[in-house]
Amino acid sequence: MQTNTAVKVDRLTKIFDTGAAVEDLSFEIRENEFVALVGPSGCGKSTTLKIVSGLIPPTKGKVYIRNAQVQGPIADVGMVLQSPVLLPWRNSLENVLFTAEMGGRKPGGYHRRASELFKLASLEGFEKSYPHELSGGMQQRVAICRALLLDPSLLLMDEPFGALDVLTRERMGFELQRIWSASKTTVLLVTHSITEAVLLADTVIVMTARPGRIKAAIKVDLPRPRDVHTLREPRFIELTGAVRDNIEAQWVE
Amino acid sequence: MMWKHTQNIRRAAEAPFAFLVILILWEYGAGFIGVPEYILPVPTDIVGKFWQTLTIQAHHLGVTAATTMIGLAMALLIGVLLAMSVLYIRPMKAIVLPILAAFNSIPKIAIAPLFVIWFGLGVEPKILLAFLLGLFPVFVNSITGLGEIEPDVLDLARLAGGNELRIFTKVRLMNAVPYITDAIKVAFPLALVGSIVGEFIGGNNGVGYLILSGQFNMDTPLVFATLLSITLFTTVVIGLVVFLERVLLKWRPSRRKR
Repeated sequence: MQTNTAVKVDRLTKIFDTGAAVEDLSFEIRENEFVALVGPSGCGKSTTLKIVSGLIPPTKGKVYIRNAQVQGPIADVGMVLQSPVLLPWRNSLENVLFTAEMGGRKPGGYHRRASELFKLASLEGFEKSYPHELSGGMQQRVAICRALLLDPSLLLMDEPFGALDVLTRERMGFELQRIWSASKTTVLLVTHSITEAVLLADTVIVMTARPGRIKAAIKVDLPRPRDVHTLREPRFIELTGAVRDNIEAQWVE
Repeated sequence: MMWKHTQNIRRAAEAPFAFLVILILWEYGAGFIGVPEYILPVPTDIVGKFWQTLTIQAHHLGVTAATTMIGLAMALLIGVLLAMSVLYIRPMKAIVLPILAAFNSIPKIAIAPLFVIWFGLGVEPKILLAFLLGLFPVFVNSITGLGEIEPDVLDLARLAGGNELRIFTKVRLMNAVPYITDAIKVAFPLALVGSIVGEFIGGNNGVGYLILSGQFNMDTPLVFATLLSITLFTTVVIGLVVFLERVLLKWRPSRRKR
């Protein structure tokens, strides 16, 4: 194993009562790398993410995070899910501080970091707002701030913009890139949007339909920061095409 | 703005106005038709009687209020503890749930005479009845409030290093607050029923006893005056619960906002 490997997934298999969700899945993520996992729905992307986080155990195979085998919920990780899952009785700031409190830390010491993140996520002035007073996009940004509060060295995201409308989604993608480049952590993003995957990731891993296996790993060599103009570049179109071909090839097989 | 303001005042005035109309109809209608006082006393008689018996009313209402509130407090404590035991101790679910469900199907009032045999004529059987009647709604709502947490919330809490104690105090308990305040609104009137039924059955204290003695003496105004006492008590308690909700649940989107 290379020294700069952050996450190593080694021949992972997960079998549920309903059958195999992922089968013999192996891939690696380097430190500070942004990896996107794409594939048809139900291919076990989310399952893979949950196994990496240690929330559910694999049936076979192993996951290593910085050479330590995952054997339960891992520490030093930020998680963003499809829905913001904010606690309705806490305002935005208190929701962000939730991460610290759950870890048994006094929230008082994290106000500064929280307000930095609010600034970064363009949420300044909404610290005292309750979730129901925020739009879906803002709620999701609060969820991202919550995940980043303790500066985790690994950020896991499960379709974080899946519930948002297309325009908000695109803007959130750029915001995520900005936040990520400011905090430089290793990211594993699960998405079913090819555009989002290519726009954000260093490497796009394409999974096959259930049971999920690796179909292809495509390096994205587009320069950063990427913006709206990137979407029109020939190389971008070429890469999304390559990802799409790999996904669609499965329908033919 | 002005229009909306007047509309609000009008809406707020509607209920008291309707109430006043009914009182006036009652006051003059009863006399007009010729209903005797021992059947239906008129409002001024009732208020007069209430005023006249104020110290007696205060004494008996105090006793009933005490047994009701103690019973309710016990129902809250035991109800939440039982819900926790069902939540955290697997085998408890198989034991507690069927027993409570079976027990709930017995009309508690039917076993009230037994409590007089067992515990005598003091406050104990009244508190016990109030507790038993209030227990079930608290228990059921606590199970929902403490137990039905989104799996995603629990996942995030565990990943952030949350242990069961922190998840309980910062997630489950907070989630249960609106369920428990709702339960109080149901359990309080039930506990009051328990106390009053207990007083009907035995002893010489409490508003239940006062109503019975009013009945024995054909003192209908006294019965109505006591009902007035009870109404004042329930109004105060429900008002307190609503106030408590405003303080604890200020995060809830206002239901009145349209």
